[in-house]
Amino acid sequence: MTGALSPTTVLLVVGAFLFAALPHLAAMPPWLALVIVLAAIWRATVEVLGLRRPNWLIRGFLTFGGLALVIAHYGTFWGRRAATVLLCVMIAAKLSEMFRLRDARVVAALGYFLIATQFLFSQQLVLFAYLVVGCALVTAALMRIQRDADSAPTPVTDSPPAAAGAASVVRDGFLLMLLAVPFALVLFTLFPRLASPLWGMPENALDGRTGLSDEMSPGNIASLFADDSPAFRVSFDGPPPPRSERYWRGPVLWRFDGRTWRRLFYSNRAPERTPRPGPGAFSYTVQLEPSERRWLFSLDYPVRAPEDARLTADFELISKTPVTTLMSYDVISQPDFQDSVDLLQTMRRFALLLPEGSNPRTRAHAEELRRRYPADDRALIDAVLAWFNREDFFYSLETAPLGRHGADEFLFDLRVGYCEYYASAFVVLMRAAGIPARIVTGYQGGFWQAADEYLLVRQSDAHAWAEVWLEGQGWTRVDPTAAVSPSRIRDGARSALSGSQGWLSGEWLYQLRNQYDRLQNLWNRWVLGFDARRQQNFLASLGLDTLPPGVKAALLVALAGLVLVPLALLLQASTNARRRRDRLDRAWHRLCGRLRRAGVRPLIGETALETARRSAERIDNGHELITLAGEYSMLKYGPFRSETAVSAFGRKTAGWRPIARNPSSFNQS
Amino acid sequence: MSSRRSSAKPPFPEGDRARSWVDAAQVRFAAWLRRRGPVHPPLTLGYRQIYILPTRFGWLVGLLLFAMLLGSLNFNNNLGLFTTFLVAGIGLLSMHIAHRNLDGVRVAGCVPGQTFAGAPLELSITLRDTRDRARRGLVAESKRLSPAAGVDLAASASAETALSIPTRRRGWMEIPRIRLRTRHPLGWFEAWSWFWPEHKVLVWPRPADQAPPLLTSGSSDSRNRSGDESDEFHGLRDWREGDPLHRIAWKASQRHQHLLARQFTRPERDRIILRLTDAPGRSLEERISILARWVMEAERNEFEYGMELGATTIEPGSGEAHRIRCLDALGEFG
Repeated sequence: MTGALSPTTVLLVVGAFLFAALPHLAAMPPWLALVIVLAAIWRATVEVLGLRRPNWLIRGFLTFGGLALVIAHYGTFWGRRAATVLLCVMIAAKLSEMFRLRDARVVAALGYFLIATQFLFSQQLVLFAYLVVGCALVTAALMRIQRDADSAPTPVTDSPPAAAGAASVVRDGFLLMLLAVPFALVLFTLFPRLASPLWGMPENALDGRTGLSDEMSPGNIASLFADDSPAFRVSFDGPPPPRSERYWRGPVLWRFDGRTWRRLFYSNRAPERTPRPGPGAFSYTVQLEPSERRWLFSLDYPVRAPEDARLTADFELISKTPVTTLMSYDVISQPDFQDSVDLLQTMRRFALLLPEGSNPRTRAHAEELRRRYPADDRALIDAVLAWFNREDFFYSLETAPLGRHGADEFLFDLRVGYCEYYASAFVVLMRAAGIPARIVTGYQGGFWQAADEYLLVRQSDAHAWAEVWLEGQGWTRVDPTAAVSPSRIRDGARSALSGSQGWLSGEWLYQLRNQYDRLQNLWNRWVLGFDARRQQNFLASLGLDTLPPGVKAALLVALAGLVLVPLALLLQASTNARRRRDRLDRAWHRLCGRLRRAGVRPLIGETALETARRSAERIDNGHELITLAGEYSMLKYGPFRSETAVSAFGRKTAGWRPIARNPSSFNQS
Repeated sequence: MSSRRSSAKPPFPEGDRARSWVDAAQVRFAAWLRRRGPVHPPLTLGYRQIYILPTRFGWLVGLLLFAMLLGSLNFNNNLGLFTTFLVAGIGLLSMHIAHRNLDGVRVAGCVPGQTFAGAPLELSITLRDTRDRARRGLVAESKRLSPAAGVDLAASASAETALSIPTRRRGWMEIPRIRLRTRHPLGWFEAWSWFWPEHKVLVWPRPADQAPPLLTSGSSDSRNRSGDESDEFHGLRDWREGDPLHRIAWKASQRHQHLLARQFTRPERDRIILRLTDAPGRSLEERISILARWVMEAERNEFEYGMELGATTIEPGSGEAHRIRCLDALGEFG
């Protein structure tokens, strides 16, 4: 086919492409998105205004210029974001040379692909609407292209295919897409899933929307406070822990260089002993949003690692692969557990290490505290917390950066900060006082969705706290932020920061977002979380899991058929409905059917009256038939037709049966 | 042309053995098709006549879907999977719709037009919907021919499409197998049916571009002859013995003092006989071509013309039917 594209088709293809590229455009740098949108708009303008088509020089410039822009910004064509942006750019370039049906088809079909790739980045509930509308638009564009193809040679006949308008094609596209939905649902439920991936995930999928980092320097966690997106959701088997106990443990940090806290290599070994689940243990399922990190979060202290993850000596959970899609895992946590009753000499040294010559004032203050509480670590800690509470320490995000002697500056000069500042200064103080201490990062709190009974933990719930090692108690959690701003722990970061932030314009919006998250949670659980395991469970609940694969495949085909047959019937019925819409005709058809059974066939091209006259000779109540046929003709072709008359005619015909003549006379006629 | 035919290669030369196999296979295939059901118009296309396969673009989309499936499965990306399955469902539906689009279409007629060798033959195909539903984008095509423009059918309506078949030489021509196809709605699947028009077409010889002028005056058959009263009045002449009495123009005779008779004539037309032997030309085809030209010219000049073609003789006459008769004779000759 070498047919030409009509302007409507070009507009539809460009429109479908722009819609399919919409989320991609939003994620790429604005100037690159602008280039793509301009290229598309230009192509549409060329078509509408009938301008000269771009020559090869412009097309080449667009193609290679686009390539250069992508490489300039991303430095590579690999990685999901760079690759999809490249795809968008290339399709936009292709638009400039889309003058044949073939090219238009390729562009349109790639629209499906663009839509599918978007879900590598996010599978939010709202994107389902994008999926549905996008697929319908692409389908409509393909339909319109086919219309062009069918009228491709110059029309010579009287009735060339009517050029379908954009609106009707879009409607047809939606209809076709809707009819395909049941089929897609069956396949979605039954199509076997892979339990483990065939190849690894490319990195950098989430455009830097990563969760908690595995190191902490000032500002790291604060950057998460503005991020209101969910980090994970937890549903508990029993009652949830009280708010003050909702510390979601993430990376544990030991090494401090005066500015940044980092993990310790030794932490990666397995724990010497693990808690035994007993009374007071929490059993829960976490649905972790993709973070590209390997941290899984749990309450203190996870009994064992979930599948495909391991438990470290610091009771961190680390996944074997980065979490790039929604992931769900089960954990049992036992709060009453003594972590490291004995502290190894090496570990103790690490837990006391401070950079040489830093924070002299803090050290002096620590020595003074030590003199006051020579043996009682617990009392010393309480004194420090009381000091935080008593002196004018404030909790705020609006604070100043810290210099080389960060703890000194914070504790004695600045005194305004948030969890990072407090945890860091507190641990430095503890170490200076000779108490082994470390920093734990993670999340604290969460919003309890009472109606659906799950805990929503947002990125903005990120938190840092301290752990000190006490003789006879092991590692013990101390949250200095709680001493300064109890409401931060009790009601979350939002309340502690109320009024100071602009990212929420009102309480109602916050409530709305919480309500929306309930939908999102259901979506995650039932649609996105439908993995190999859940599918197995689902099939098992139907008793299908033990079937051999061949039978399963046959079942799949049969079910697909089960969906398709009603669809086909539906299509058929819509035709039939149109054919039989007229009640008058329906009544007459029924009557003719009875005549046929009585041995009289209405002939093609015969009027109703002719049929009746011919049949009347062969049956006993022929005169009635002729009357009925007359009425039918009057109603059908006459000027006056009322619905009541049609109904009356229907009732009359319904009761009428041809009375066959006795055989002898029948033979004579 | 006929001379070239005599020097044609033997039916199955060594190098063309494979070709003969293909031919044989095609003949068998055609026979199989014919066994499956009616293949000559008029016929209504049913499931036994309708074949369906993905188009090249359809295969491409299939490949794309496979890539999407693999990617989504690998990353356990449920929305990606759903997209894949949705598009697959759309594809399956489009297959069904393509089949439905052809099912129940009646090829009501397939009538060839008349043409001279070298000019395309217009084959007019009448399609009718018998299932009371609208059809879209029905395209008639044949091997090595450019497809006809697609036609739409409204519910229960009929429409005509024309397929132009190139002709090369005069004589009886078989109309090739016609393929009625549709790629509606998405172009992923092509449903088609084959049928053979039962007509053979007689292709007329191409009228020569240059021909000697028609020999009208030299024709011995060209003479005046007196007509009777049914013809138009021509004039008066002296009465001669043997003229019927009622032709005497009594009033005029009175004035002229001798008998005058009314004379009638038929408006005289040139009557010519076109003979193969009169036509110049090196080969038979050239001469026939010149004869064809003469026929056209004679008809245009409203001559009365007859034809002598070897053993065939056509009495002089004129008019459209006569012209067709002459051209048919020329087409068939030899």
